[in-house]
Amino acid sequence: MGGLEHANSFIRVLFSSMCIIIVVSVLLAQRGREMFIRRIPGLTAIEEAVGRATEMGRPIFFSPGLAGIGITTLQALAILAHIVRLAAARATRIITAINVSSVYPIAEETVREAYDSVGRSADYRPDDVRFVSEEQFAYALGSVGIMAREQTATNFLFGQFYAEALILTENGRALGSLQVAGCPDPVQIPFFIATCDYVVIGDEFYAASAYLTREPTLMGSLVGQDIVKALLLLLIIAGLVIVTLFPGHPGLTGLIRPDFLSALLGKG
Amino acid sequence: MTVFKALPAGDHLPALVAVLLASVLACVALFYFLHRTLGPRGRRRLTMAVTFLAGLYLGLEYFLPVREAVLWPTRLPNTHPSPANLLTPGIEPFSVWLTVAGAFTVGLGIYSLFQFHGRNVLRRTRGWPYGLSFFIATFAMFTFTIWDHSLTKAGLAPEAMPWPRAVYEFLFTGIYVPLQAATFSLLAFYIASAAYRAFRIQTAEASVMMVAAFIVMLGQVPIGSWLTSTLPTSGPLAFFHLEALGEWVMRWLNTPAQRAITLGIAVGALAMSLRIWLSLERGTFFSER
Repeated sequence: MGGLEHANSFIRVLFSSMCIIIVVSVLLAQRGREMFIRRIPGLTAIEEAVGRATEMGRPIFFSPGLAGIGITTLQALAILAHIVRLAAARATRIITAINVSSVYPIAEETVREAYDSVGRSADYRPDDVRFVSEEQFAYALGSVGIMAREQTATNFLFGQFYAEALILTENGRALGSLQVAGCPDPVQIPFFIATCDYVVIGDEFYAASAYLTREPTLMGSLVGQDIVKALLLLLIIAGLVIVTLFPGHPGLTGLIRPDFLSALLGKG
Repeated sequence: MTVFKALPAGDHLPALVAVLLASVLACVALFYFLHRTLGPRGRRRLTMAVTFLAGLYLGLEYFLPVREAVLWPTRLPNTHPSPANLLTPGIEPFSVWLTVAGAFTVGLGIYSLFQFHGRNVLRRTRGWPYGLSFFIATFAMFTFTIWDHSLTKAGLAPEAMPWPRAVYEFLFTGIYVPLQAATFSLLAFYIASAAYRAFRIQTAEASVMMVAAFIVMLGQVPIGSWLTSTLPTSGPLAFFHLEALGEWVMRWLNTPAQRAITLGIAVGALAMSLRIWLSLERGTFFSER
């Protein structure tokens, strides 16, 4: 059993500050403060993509990726819930292919609740949330099989993807589907950019539920995370200036070390 | 966990099975009771409470100051002292619970597959032979894997009963592994076709991508070095060696961009975690309905 990671003083202060900023932004938004979110093309395209499937009278394919239950998959399922509500309201079928068995019951419940929320419980088909395989490439080929057999008009791929990303999107493209993808992994983003019509990049992925629902709480969280990013940027610039202007100065360069607070408090 | 640890070593299979069955029955009874007694609002509140407490535990375990490196109790042989605090010993049972919960969901996944393909085969819907092949593959693999495993466990030499192992080897090494390798190798062609489309010079962005890719790719291969081998190896012109230029693109253009995206993702994940932990992600997992 290796050593576990634990926070040092710097991380404690940094994390606490970041959490406080985000929570305060949420509270301000809940009290009615106007929040602005820039237009995100990849997320705006979701409605267009669902509309395309409706017009063509063909189903939609959704993949929440290969990760187990975690933040990435929960965000993917939040996006799935929104897409299912849009699709259900237009009486369009949506097929969800699951790779990790622990995600399956949650995805099933998410889809069922989304159908209920728009008053279309009768349209919910349990077969449309399918566990395909726990194996990466078996999942990829199973999903491609669904796309081909069902002739999906639109493919949504939101979540954690690895090497199978290209197999899914290249085949989806060959089948003429409109594809919208989002992945928090910078390594996979270029592959999606090359093969999909719209791509949600980086932290836009985590902005999706706020952007799509316009829920004040989520909007506040989004603005909070932007403030945190700005502060981190300032911290980086400050560190850059310090090491550039005072190279080798122990007191100042020590400031950018992760354990600077411990050192400052005499515990380092 | 405590019960399992309390079981004496040796062959105590009946006791283990009894404990397992009792645990499963207790869980089923508990969930049935909760399901019957709690309404939708109660269930939602229970979910929120469990989410909050689990997040609080893991968060505190990470943030609380650690003592000196100690040997904390663990199920596995533990000879490496690790920094620990008051809550650290609970992490392992926590992860075991997750594993157990995950194991139950495998059953759900298999049930979903059987239900879906079984219905297709019985109703002879379009593509039903795929369903049939699923059943054949599943039962063949399951039977011969268990058979081979039990022969190995019984200490039988492969020569004593060669054909179950031969069939297993054929299924696994002869079919499964090549199929995986074949699927993986498809990526080479997909990368080529995706790159062709991405690098077609149609827009300013595609042109920049094309030039960057050209430099990086040539910088990785001997012909790239050869093309610029006539340039001096020192002085300002040395920078224009394709391998140096490729490395510059990767280190000074690609890495900062990747780090910027990673930073944004990390902050986004933190905000999402907070929303889940505090049950603020309404409309999805904590619907007010």
